[in-house]
Amino acid sequence: MRFQQIDQFAAELKADTRAAVYQSTKGTHEKRTKLLFDQFGDPNRLRQIAGEIKQHTIENLDTYLPQVEAKLKSNGVQVHWAATAESANAAVLKIMRARNATKIVKAKTMVSEEIELEHYLTKHGVETLETDLGEFIIQIDHDHPSHIVRPIIHKNRREIATSFEREGLGAYNDDPQTITRRARQFLRHKYLEADVGLTGANFVSVESGRMVLVTNEGNSRFCLAATKCHIALIGIEKLVPTDRDLALLLNLLGRSGTAQELTVYTEFIHGPKSATQPDGPEEMHVIFVDNGRTDVLASDCRDILRCIRCGACLNVCPIYRQASGHAYRSVYPGPVGAVLSPLLMGDKFPQKADLPKASTLCGACQEVCPVNIPIPDLLLRLRNKAKEENVPSPGTPPMGAWALLASQPTVWKASLFGGKVINYLPTKLLPIPALRAWEAKRALPEWRGGEFRKWLKTRGKS
Amino acid sequence: MSSSDDRESILSRVRGALAPLHERAARPDYSTEIAVMRKMLGNRDNLTVFTERIALVNGRATTDPTAVVARLRENKWLHGYCDPVLWPSLAPHFGADFKVETTFDRKRVDDYTFGITRAAGAIAETGTIILNDATTSRRLGALAPWVHIAVVERATIFSDLPEAVAGLGTDNNVIWVTGPSKTADVEGILIEGVHGPGIQIALVV
Amino acid sequence: MLNTERKPITGKRVQLMATCLCDAFYDDVAAATVQVLEYLGVEVVFPDGQTCCGQPAFNGGDWAASRKVVRHTVKTFAGEDPVVVPSGSCAAMMFHGAVLEFEKEPDLGEVESLGRRTWELGDFIVNGLGVKTWDGRFEATVAFHRSCHSRGTCSSSAASTLLGSVAGLKLVEFGEAEQCCGFGGTFSVAFPKISASMGELKLEHVRASKPDVLVSGDMSCMMHLGGLAKEAGQPIKTMHLAQVLRDALKNGGKL
Repeated sequence: MRFQQIDQFAAELKADTRAAVYQSTKGTHEKRTKLLFDQFGDPNRLRQIAGEIKQHTIENLDTYLPQVEAKLKSNGVQVHWAATAESANAAVLKIMRARNATKIVKAKTMVSEEIELEHYLTKHGVETLETDLGEFIIQIDHDHPSHIVRPIIHKNRREIATSFEREGLGAYNDDPQTITRRARQFLRHKYLEADVGLTGANFVSVESGRMVLVTNEGNSRFCLAATKCHIALIGIEKLVPTDRDLALLLNLLGRSGTAQELTVYTEFIHGPKSATQPDGPEEMHVIFVDNGRTDVLASDCRDILRCIRCGACLNVCPIYRQASGHAYRSVYPGPVGAVLSPLLMGDKFPQKADLPKASTLCGACQEVCPVNIPIPDLLLRLRNKAKEENVPSPGTPPMGAWALLASQPTVWKASLFGGKVINYLPTKLLPIPALRAWEAKRALPEWRGGEFRKWLKTRGKS
Repeated sequence: MSSSDDRESILSRVRGALAPLHERAARPDYSTEIAVMRKMLGNRDNLTVFTERIALVNGRATTDPTAVVARLRENKWLHGYCDPVLWPSLAPHFGADFKVETTFDRKRVDDYTFGITRAAGAIAETGTIILNDATTSRRLGALAPWVHIAVVERATIFSDLPEAVAGLGTDNNVIWVTGPSKTADVEGILIEGVHGPGIQIALVV
Repeated sequence: MLNTERKPITGKRVQLMATCLCDAFYDDVAAATVQVLEYLGVEVVFPDGQTCCGQPAFNGGDWAASRKVVRHTVKTFAGEDPVVVPSGSCAAMMFHGAVLEFEKEPDLGEVESLGRRTWELGDFIVNGLGVKTWDGRFEATVAFHRSCHSRGTCSSSAASTLLGSVAGLKLVEFGEAEQCCGFGGTFSVAFPKISASMGELKLEHVRASKPDVLVSGDMSCMMHLGGLAKEAGQPIKTMHLAQVLRDALKNGGKL
């Protein structure tokens, strides 16, 4: 393949899918920016401090993880640890078996996508039902989310209406309100029939052991009001030191992700239901998941673990807007995914080493990141890692010869003068891939090598 | 392969990953004031700000129970649930056309078009109603019906997020409710009333 | 964000880093840079052995190759004088990128030192020399494209300050200005379809504001956008900041 996979995907993307993704991401990004700058004096300072809080946390996970475990336990929460996807899945199944339970209703959690929870549980006779509208639609379509916050950003109403009809949710009707009402009606009975509610967590406070869930639809509330057991799958990097830090992070998360001051529901879950409350889980389990995060922690790209999964970087990224999420072939797409996804592959890194190259290093992502992750620097590090591991890179000209040329001034100057020949060659026919790729769409400027140096000499300066 | 084995291997990998760091990034010192919309708040009282902000997220705050009942009647939302602790003081405002139960039967979840429960507080800055397990008689009663009316005591309205976080307390399930439930999953079009209420009202007493 | 702390300017002499692009394609941009600096009373020295800042290899991930070139650049620009370069991306390479790829190298200090005395042209004029208004005249509607490597630096505000002060020059805004033009160095040839789409989108926004000329502090962006426009049969006039400043002086009879 002469060109990069992601470029090919972008070229083949349907025009109306690209348009849907473009309009949605651009709209959210512009609203996010207006909100932050209208409401706060120095939003960039907020991002910087939030970044420092998260960086401090990940660099002290060795202290914070045992501390939060102790706090959770004292709050009546059962704590489990899963080093791999397999053990995370097995841990969920074990809890289900212990309760003779077979039905899970789940809220959105990217970790469950990482470990392919639904696939595993279905094989073992446990039914998992997605309750977030977007994830529900993904599930009935056997599709994958293309955005970490807006899973069906790539779908239009006609596609959804067709799917609903196919699933017996009513005759074809593509009115968004009707679609939503039908999902509401269908799902509320499912919550009430389920045994276990499964969620992720946006944050876990080490100080109090509170986990925070941030949603808009009311689905996670319903999972935790209708069922008797709560399982939370939480990446080990989701900790924050104190409750106080939550005020800052919550202010940034809503605005950055969906241009809201706060999402509709912010749940602070401190343990199973209170003794006097009739509804809710009597048992609560937290499964801390590694699944490659300790590899990332050990790398020189550990800063990416600050990520609070807001999606702002996806929304501003020009490559994401052109290619859409599925181009990245990963649970995490976009700028965050271009760093995280290859790293989470461990020694299978080469399979996703092209992701960090799908970037012009424009830095727009870093500028919107609520925790100020220096994404372009991390992408560069991963490009270096790919080079050192000799991962082939289609379309990228080899740099060894270039470096030789650019460290030998006499050869350099000779090439400058000699390069003039290019002006007389049918460059579009030359078998030089980079030249061909350039000239497919762009005129080549006139070669004027040596002219500047000549100008300097002839005016009596050098 | 047990969870305790995984615990040891994860923690040992974490320690190993962090060992080469010469120094660990410090916790920043900062004032939570930077996360407050101070200019917007001005010197205004919490109820005024709360009423203004909840309207911006398409909820409603009112101190008038008869207006709430009138709205329910107008829309024919006549069958609902009410926290038994609240019912004695609210009953006089409801007429005979209403059927209000003080118990919630989850087998008849679709019967209840409205639910009235106590709030634990509110946040002026964002127009947020605070619920928790101690004050919410039934989680389902505050969540499942189309209309949720949260009875908020005026003195429990916090000014801003940092204050509200400081006041989280020890309840096992604190929920900040900022407007009616919604989604923009279908083509980015905002639809209210997904799994949670489509109408969110704060009755301030 | 970027390491933008500069050593204070003393004296009136600078070394010029022309950039490999200007060396190969845009001699007039380098010449204009010299003329503009000399107009401000600065003596411009051109170290003849210069080649490239090393960015192409750095961005491609071949840090070993890039370091070879950076080492040569450090040797070539030995001294204490400020180094002025008519490119935001080459300047950022010197004070940020090179520092990153040398973080484990014994000669990191020398690289950092060169970085701290490297200035993008507009930034040097406004923030180094303190010149905030520009003489002369340039009758045109100008759309200014902020190159991505000037994010987190003072370069684009410096350029806007200078351009906005030129008599006869009308600066116009255009939509989605924060979005990248799509060049990205080797990205333009490894991801040619996305690169072209991004450029076409940028051109659409620029054309909507009907400028006479598109100006930037980076010829890389102009080479890409100008090249796209020309190949599509709708050429657009592109100029470098240095050329506008020089031409303003000429038109005003100052040069």
